[in-house]
Amino acid sequence: MRYVRRVLGGLISLFVGLSITLRELFKKPVTLQYPHEKPSLSPAYRSAIKLIRFDETNSHDCVACLACQKICPSFCIDIEGGKVEGIKKKRATKFTMDFALCSLCGLCIDVCPTVTLEYSKLYDEAGYNRDWNMDLLEEFTDYEEQFITEQREREEKAAAEKKAKAAAAKAKAGKNEKAGKNEKAGKNEKAGKNEKADKVGGQAEEGEA
Amino acid sequence: MSTEPNPEPNPAMAPDGDPEVYYLNMGPQHPSMHGVLRLVLKMRGEEILEAEPVIGYAHRAHEKMAENRNYLMFLPNTSRVDYLSGMIYNIAYCQAIEKIMDIEVPERAEYIRIIACELNRISSHLLWFGTFLLDLGGITPFLYCFDDREEILDILDSVTGSRLTYSYGRFGGVTMDVDSAFVARTRAFLARMRDERLPKYRRLVGDNVIFRERCEGVGVITRDVAFRYGVTGPCLRSTGVAYDVRRAEPYSIYDRFEFKIPTRVEGDTMARFDLRIEEMEESCKIVEQAVDGLPEGPIMPAKPKKRYRPPAGEYYFAVESARGHFGTYIISDGTDVPVKLKLRTPSFSNLSSMPDVLRNTMVADTIAIVGSIDVVMPEIDR
Repeated sequence: MRYVRRVLGGLISLFVGLSITLRELFKKPVTLQYPHEKPSLSPAYRSAIKLIRFDETNSHDCVACLACQKICPSFCIDIEGGKVEGIKKKRATKFTMDFALCSLCGLCIDVCPTVTLEYSKLYDEAGYNRDWNMDLLEEFTDYEEQFITEQREREEKAAAEKKAKAAAAKAKAGKNEKAGKNEKAGKNEKAGKNEKADKVGGQAEEGEA
Repeated sequence: MSTEPNPEPNPAMAPDGDPEVYYLNMGPQHPSMHGVLRLVLKMRGEEILEAEPVIGYAHRAHEKMAENRNYLMFLPNTSRVDYLSGMIYNIAYCQAIEKIMDIEVPERAEYIRIIACELNRISSHLLWFGTFLLDLGGITPFLYCFDDREEILDILDSVTGSRLTYSYGRFGGVTMDVDSAFVARTRAFLARMRDERLPKYRRLVGDNVIFRERCEGVGVITRDVAFRYGVTGPCLRSTGVAYDVRRAEPYSIYDRFEFKIPTRVEGDTMARFDLRIEEMEESCKIVEQAVDGLPEGPIMPAKPKKRYRPPAGEYYFAVESARGHFGTYIISDGTDVPVKLKLRTPSFSNLSSMPDVLRNTMVADTIAIVGSIDVVMPEIDR
């Protein structure tokens, strides 16, 4: 009797299973025929880093502070750069990244003081040799000379404005102390940004030593 | 370099003169062995007399790497220790550092972490469910559960930007915020999982007589063996011990959620199967409560630190991973590079109990037994 019950129970469970798989057979398949149909990338998708092109300058804002190179756990970022003749701002002259080593952790993006790094949306890249170095500055090199000229103009303009403001403030200071204070606060804010970038780079260097 | 000779071979594995006794290497490239595990079996006929797991084929020296970089730089490694529940390990490491350095985590970030971790736990159990049945010869359930797992990976992808090795946690919070689309999708997934998929898995697999016959009473881990080897997770709970780090030493905000710690007393493969299915349900409950209570607010502290220098000392922090008790043991000398970072991974202890469990079983059951403890080899070798 027990044996019969077991066989019957087995048969029932077999048919339950078969009915489930049979029902699935007539459903729409969930498989995507990949190379022919492509899924949409998620908006948060992370791939190799790239330099952001800012609208105001039409170029990146990498000051070669090396903060990203130092925090990179895979040691895959290689940056060279420094002072450029004619402008105050430091510039990167080389920014390569070995995507084969990158672990996409995003620490470099977190530490960038000028916020000029972001994830790209590349997803089907392939490297053809062992040193797969992506040159992130490639799209900016043609424009670099023009950027420097424009940057010099911008800096000269800013310096002139600063001078004019200082003169105006000086003239005003005699008349109204309160107004002078406000001007000063605005000035500090502007000068602060470049200083901050340099400072972060300096700190990282100290840390390593 | 050590000048010590090689350790003594296991005397139990030595030949004992019986001409019937032979040895079988299962793995490291056996099609149904998990990853790169090698089991040396000493057998007579089909009966296993002794078994010895040989590990180390996926060693990547994560712990040594930690000693050569600062605390932040170890973050991407954490997900790679156990790639099936990378989120839990990643967040656990962040929580360890936060506990040491008293970093306050914003409320919203805590909730997001819970949602992400529990979704990750479900996806890890789903993958185990599929591959375990694949080992036993059932291919169909594998396809169904990978459909569900894919949905979880897509949900996590939409907020973290990657599918397996997340690097989502940061000391003090998480990298990206969730939106209403994420919440809606998670809710839809939970509904589908609970109303449709889990009952289906029970009917298709759990009630199947062939499956039950292969699992019931097979590979019994007794409570004594579990205690001696430090077995944790579903393997320990299958012996009737309701130990779950989420309940035993509540970390993060787990004490705010209502969930059961399912247990069984049989300790066999079937008990572990039932437990994991039930645990998926409990995780669904936690995710639902967390999604309901998701507060508004920041996801990172207002001013995250630039450098992390824990005060000198030794620290231990444990979480419940999909496989059991995962601990991070940190020795700090006050600099931003750890002196030693030891990861206590549950799979290692669970696998260590295998010689005792496999003794006097049949070789055909080996795959079912080793599959049922859910080992992830890179987690053991790390």
